[in-house]
Amino acid sequence: MVSVRRKNRVQVSEPHPEPVSVSIADMQARQFVCVCGKVTRMTARPTSGQPALAVMVSDDTGTVTAVWTGRRSIGGVTLGRRIAIKGVAVAHGAKLEFTNPSYTLLPR
Amino acid sequence: MKVIIAGAGSVGRYMAEQLQNSGHEVTLIDNQVNVVNNRPKDSTGGVTWHLGDACEVATLEAVGAAGADIVAAVTGDDEDNLVISLLSKQEFAVPRVLARVNNPKNEWMFNDMWGVDVSVSTPHLLTGLVEEAVTVGSFVRLLSLEGGKARLAEVTLAANSPAIGKELAALGLPRESTVVAVLRGGHVVVPRGDTILQAADEVVVLVTGGVEDDVRAALVG
Repeated sequence: MVSVRRKNRVQVSEPHPEPVSVSIADMQARQFVCVCGKVTRMTARPTSGQPALAVMVSDDTGTVTAVWTGRRSIGGVTLGRRIAIKGVAVAHGAKLEFTNPSYTLLPR
Repeated sequence: MKVIIAGAGSVGRYMAEQLQNSGHEVTLIDNQVNVVNNRPKDSTGGVTWHLGDACEVATLEAVGAAGADIVAAVTGDDEDNLVISLLSKQEFAVPRVLARVNNPKNEWMFNDMWGVDVSVSTPHLLTGLVEEAVTVGSFVRLLSLEGGKARLAEVTLAANSPAIGKELAALGLPRESTVVAVLRGGHVVVPRGDTILQAADEVVVLVTGGVEDDVRAALVG
């Protein structure tokens, strides 16, 4: 049973007020950023037995991967689609990866 | 290293004290006013306390999770520990997230799906793992063998270590010690005399007798 908690919950301000819009090559780990690009690869990447969708997004400067856990597909996210991704990326060696970032589908 | 500990129960306070004594910058979060107000003045003197709910992104933001090296979620509630872990990893990309498992039945959930890098269930072990994870450039004893006559120790080489760029044979390690493994970027390098050490290598050394100081001098400086 999940008990009802946090009855003294206070109104909190929105974290990370504004992302920094950057090109993919200029991204840094642990920075709240917004990047735009085209979906160039989509991979199912099950983690610990749970489904996950890894989407590679590319702009003219480079590529970055966004992983959404717990799902195999996202409506509207298809190969070639332009999307904007907002989030904080983790460094995996030299590569950067978003986990469950927010995203916006952009007009084709 | 900057360590954030969520949950100031006996586990959290114990860890805070130990890590503080090891020279780490420790912040303790708890959401109970009386816990924070009645904090012991002596034992955890240098620790920063913060009253707030660590399951809120705003609280984590306020204690500087964006710059933290480690977040340890050690509250008495598994669901809270999972939320704290997920937020730390997803919103702040904290490099190392530790979570305490209270009920072993929940352990299967404590994995990278929830942002957990390491899950543990005893306070003592938790402290040891934090130490190992945050310590670059110092000598961490992993295991004692034969009642302490031989020890397995690990050093993560800092950028200024005197051993970097040298062949193992040229390090001048005492005869009573040997390098048994070099962990590099997720791979195990089997050490030979001509293996050249690099920064961030985790060097596992078997040390016998009283030569620990010599080994430390060769690898740490």
